Amino acid sequence: MELELKLLWTAIVLYVLGGSLAVIGVVFRKRPERSILGLLLLGWFMHTATLTLRWIRLDHGPFMTMFEILSSNVWSLVLVFMIAYWRIKAIRPAAAVVMPILFVMMGWLMLSSPGEAHFPQSFRTPWLFIHIGFGKVFLGAVLVAVGLSIVIQSRRTLRGLACFQSLPEDARLDELAYRFMALGLVFNSLMLIAGAIWAQDAWGRYWAWDPLETWAFLTWLVLVFYLHLRSTYRIAPRSGSLLVLAVFVAAFLTFFGVPFISTAPHKGAV
Amino acid sequence: MILPQPNLLHIATRLASPKLTLAGFALLGAAAIAVYQLGDSAAAWLAGPLLLLAVNLIGAVASNGVFRRQLPLLVFHLALIALVLLAAISRLTYLKGAADVTEGTAFGGLWRQVAGPLHPDRLNEVQFINEGFDISYKPGPLRDLTLNRVRWIADDGRERVEQIADNRPLVSHGYRFYPSSNKGFAPVLLWLPKEGVPVLGAVHLPSFPVNRFTQSRDWRPAGAKSDIWIMLDVPEDLIPADRASRFNAPQQYPLVLRRGDLRREMRPGERVSLPDGDVEYRELRTWMGYSVFYDWTLPWMLSACVVAVLSMGAHFWNKFAAKPWNREN
Repeated sequence: MELELKLLWTAIVLYVLGGSLAVIGVVFRKRPERSILGLLLLGWFMHTATLTLRWIRLDHGPFMTMFEILSSNVWSLVLVFMIAYWRIKAIRPAAAVVMPILFVMMGWLMLSSPGEAHFPQSFRTPWLFIHIGFGKVFLGAVLVAVGLSIVIQSRRTLRGLACFQSLPEDARLDELAYRFMALGLVFNSLMLIAGAIWAQDAWGRYWAWDPLETWAFLTWLVLVFYLHLRSTYRIAPRSGSLLVLAVFVAAFLTFFGVPFISTAPHKGAV
Repeated sequence: MILPQPNLLHIATRLASPKLTLAGFALLGAAAIAVYQLGDSAAAWLAGPLLLLAVNLIGAVASNGVFRRQLPLLVFHLALIALVLLAAISRLTYLKGAADVTEGTAFGGLWRQVAGPLHPDRLNEVQFINEGFDISYKPGPLRDLTLNRVRWIADDGRERVEQIADNRPLVSHGYRFYPSSNKGFAPVLLWLPKEGVPVLGAVHLPSFPVNRFTQSRDWRPAGAKSDIWIMLDVPEDLIPADRASRFNAPQQYPLVLRRGDLRREMRPGERVSLPDGDVEYRELRTWMGYSVFYDWTLPWMLSACVVAVLSMGAHFWNKFAAKPWNREN
């Protein structure tokens, strides 16, 4: 376990270095993009190693405790963001706002107990991995959209405008955020379907309106509301980006809030 | 004066009202809260708001021209309508219940059930025998894998033997039987009344190990004048907390029988005489509790979901592939 924690600390230090470099790059109008991607990638490999070691030691995936859920989500969110960072060069300075969001999760992770929890038999099904995998892609897509939305919002100020002048104009960022949210809807829907199949086998019901299911449905509705509004009306990028942030808040509460205040058996294995 | 007849499009436009959507969601929220507060008995209330939302969506699809121009979008919304309608029908026809079956005996009905008002009751066609279970425990004790052997008559009339488990139910006539965490010991007793016919019965003691300190129950067989209190004297560490173990019947421990001032410890095969009859302790068996679920809409709902997601993906793909994100209109 000591090695696992050392690797995790190393990964987090590398993530923080990469994120800090992104912030410095934006503030000083530099683009050390290869160094940022290198640091994130190295950190992600360390993180993969620590998760693998824990998986082997406990004989189950990182899905049970808050420590495991935060760790696996930081891992998947970094992965999704790295792919976006690598493929869409024009938005790379957005790392300066995305990484600080992940820093908050990393801080929370470091304060969580790395203890173990029982892995019930009802979790030993391929549908758990499918459900979780779709959920992670959904949250990753929303995170990229949130990064773009924060850039749009920060450009309301002169300082923000100066820092993010190298990024495409607001309308284009808004369009890209919309596309990531559409991708998020597809994967959120898949997550709900896979979760219902799993719940049917695990607890003998596919949907029971338990707090987590209700919040997941509300998140889906808010996401659908945003996409309908965005495709039906001409919404200004600044207003659209606020809606993206609202979806993120709902999703964040669903993933990291509700499972830990609910007493239902559905404990949010995400 | 002759009033103009409202045409179908006009009706569809009225039905597609966003106010109706809001009303539908408000009612759905109220029904979901009712399910929270009142439990499954309120589940049928979900049907009304779901039907209202389906009608609202049908109105939107019929009145909005965009659906005629974009086929994947139309398919997605039709699949969504099918899903909402199926969800509503599901709440009217589903069943959720619980059954306890003694080892070596046949399923004889549910002791608790909640069903939609239109549930087609076919439970009497279900035939299966609980042939016993094997449960492994991790230190704690924490229940691990539950395996339950059942012999059953399949829908085609043939006899089958199957091992069901936590994630693998017995499916018979559309009813799904899941072995639950509810299980325990069942002393088999023969009651020989002074007057009347003998009764052979299995007394289901409280679920074990969750109620390991209260393994007792009152039993009053036909013809008995008062309750007979019986208790299985099991040791606290029958399923030890500090190491892995399995569920096993404590055959070597006595069954305590008490009525008034009389108290006897019995072993299998022993008999006790009471003023109104004799009680013979035959053997110790187990009982298994099942969660029972019926919903014929499941495969159709899954199909509707798959069509909805595929068409949604196709819609976004067509839309986004037509124009790069960084290009102006």
